[in-house]
Amino acid sequence: MTTVIETRELVRKFGSGETQVTALNEVSITIRKGEFTAITGPSGSGKTTLLQLIGGLDEPDAGDVFLSGSNIAKMSGSELSDFRRDHIGFIFQSYNLIPVLSAEENIEYIMLLQGISAKIRQSRVREMLALVGLEGMGDRRPANLSGGQQQRVAVARAMASKPDIILADEPTANLDSKTGIALLDVMRQLNQQMDMTFVFSTHDHKIMDRADRLVHLEDGVIHLDESRSV
Amino acid sequence: MLIFKLAFRNILRQRRRSLLTALSMAGGYMLFVFSMSLLEGSWTNVVDIFTLDHTGHVQIHKDDYAKRPKIYKTITDRDSVESVLTGNEGVKGWAPRVYSTALAYGGDKTSIAQIFGIDVTLEPSVTRIKQKVTEGIYFDNQPDADGYAKAMIGRGLANILKLNIGDEIVLISSGADGSIANDVFVISAIVGNTTSFDRLGVFLPITVAQRFLSIDADVHEYALLARDKHANERLARSLQLALPQLKVSPWQEIEATFYRTMQSDKQSNYFTMGLIVFIVFVGVLNTVLMSVLERTKEFGVLRSIGCRPSELVKLIFIETVMLAFASILAGLVLILPVIMWFTNVGLKLDIAFDMGGVVFDTMKGDFSAYVIFMPMGFMLLTAALISLPPGLRAARILPREAMGSH
Ligand SMILES: Nc1ncnc2c1ncn2[C@@H]1O[C@H](COP(=O)(O)OP(=O)(O)OP(=O)(O)O)[C@@H](O)[C@H]1O
Ligand SMILES: [Mg+2]
Repeated sequence: MTTVIETRELVRKFGSGETQVTALNEVSITIRKGEFTAITGPSGSGKTTLLQLIGGLDEPDAGDVFLSGSNIAKMSGSELSDFRRDHIGFIFQSYNLIPVLSAEENIEYIMLLQGISAKIRQSRVREMLALVGLEGMGDRRPANLSGGQQQRVAVARAMASKPDIILADEPTANLDSKTGIALLDVMRQLNQQMDMTFVFSTHDHKIMDRADRLVHLEDGVIHLDESRSV
Repeated sequence: MLIFKLAFRNILRQRRRSLLTALSMAGGYMLFVFSMSLLEGSWTNVVDIFTLDHTGHVQIHKDDYAKRPKIYKTITDRDSVESVLTGNEGVKGWAPRVYSTALAYGGDKTSIAQIFGIDVTLEPSVTRIKQKVTEGIYFDNQPDADGYAKAMIGRGLANILKLNIGDEIVLISSGADGSIANDVFVISAIVGNTTSFDRLGVFLPITVAQRFLSIDADVHEYALLARDKHANERLARSLQLALPQLKVSPWQEIEATFYRTMQSDKQSNYFTMGLIVFIVFVGVLNTVLMSVLERTKEFGVLRSIGCRPSELVKLIFIETVMLAFASILAGLVLILPVIMWFTNVGLKLDIAFDMGGVVFDTMKGDFSAYVIFMPMGFMLLTAALISLPPGLRAARILPREAMGSH
């Protein structure tokens, strides 16, 4: 299977002197296409930091990130911006939909940035809404959707640009456990149907159990990396 | 376009704040247009008053006659001048003139007087001389029964010399050849009032004046009206090219002191309005900046999902200019009837004042593209500029702000 994410000895420190924190300490990890990986670990262990570095939202103090073979450290600001747009989908803990745009428009916006024609945008929006089980709710604003529905829209938004990887930082943390599990099932389904690579962080055991690979971080170091069959 | 929808909805997001911002911009625009309208209107009014009273829009002289009038500085080749004037599309009307000073006698009274030799038929195509006749009738070239030529005199002169219609007036002057000129004229009309520029004037038919001053058929001046009064300087330049041997001057040169006063008055109004617009937009800048900082997380999200920084600059630009444009349009709708009323009706002044025999008693506005679009363009440009600092601030927001965990 092809490697889509590779990190080499990633180091990320915050602050300086006495109060300096090493959020990540020489983290090397390889993730292959189609994997459904959960990053776990206690609060402050470096989960968010790792996802940010993989997604090119932050820069490491040392080490490299390769996405589909390209070293993202070598990219200029706008190249990286375009790379994120075309190759990475993000899902955030607090959904982070644009409040003034409807569900459909939230999904459409990223495709607009990609320069996709209106016709294709429309059909793909419908397709995505159906995939996450929100047919007929496209014209609702985020405020008129439940948390679980908003997060489904976020999943659809992340998928709309047809990225290689989807990164999700605690996507279920704001949802009750039933809704959270249902969302994860949607993600899992997309992962299997479309061979989409997912990397997500979580605290929740019920969620971890659904991953086929568990990467456990503690104090910025990988303590455990196990593949399992679910 | 989704980006316009996004911008539009972002404006509606904080309705009260957007409304207050819009009100300040609309108010600024209305004030700007209103002051421009009144200023342009009043100055146009004043300029009309003296150009139509005597100056005309353009004058033609021999050498520096306009600055240093001498009786011998005459235009001799009249045919070529008049064919140029007649052939020029931009010229609406023209009239030749002759000037001199004289001593005037009426009964046992005497006064200094100014002689205006005017073409009886052409002069009314340039000035309002006919309308200025307050007593008697506008003169003609025919001598009266006793063979005396007709004259019209200013109200001031009539008062000093205690002369009435039908009375005789004696003028003594010197001719261009140094000879003594004196003659008797009969008064057919009294023009203007005691404040008119021609209050001490004696209007003579031009041929009579030429004979009196011994200058053959020569003239001292041509005054003309432009078809488009706003293009009078351009007309003067083109006439100057056609008449290189003479000096062609727009009224702006003839009345240079007045023109400078007018320009500096306009400039001081621009300055005041610029200041008001500046104050308005300092407030706008502050609001837009605030709205950007409030949306830090949202912009972080947009950056994460692949929005380029320039996209955010564009979004803030559209939001700001859109709000400014809507405010200006609203301001325009409100101010339009006001300036239309000022232009068509005008405000009657309590104290009318007299400018060179023409009463200036109504405050008039100007209704023109300039008055409406100059402030509009200026304010839109300012809005566009003012959107840049907040836009650049938004562009600097880091994508990891989206995670918002720290
Ligand atoms: N922007 C920052 N400034 C300072 N310190 C930071 C910053 N971001 C992360 N850290 C520190 O780095 C360490 C790792 O943080 P990180 O957010 O990656 O942990 P996490 O595993 O995501 O925790 P949580 O489960 O609470 O979300 C923590 O000690 C945190 O305090
Ligand atoms: Mg975290």
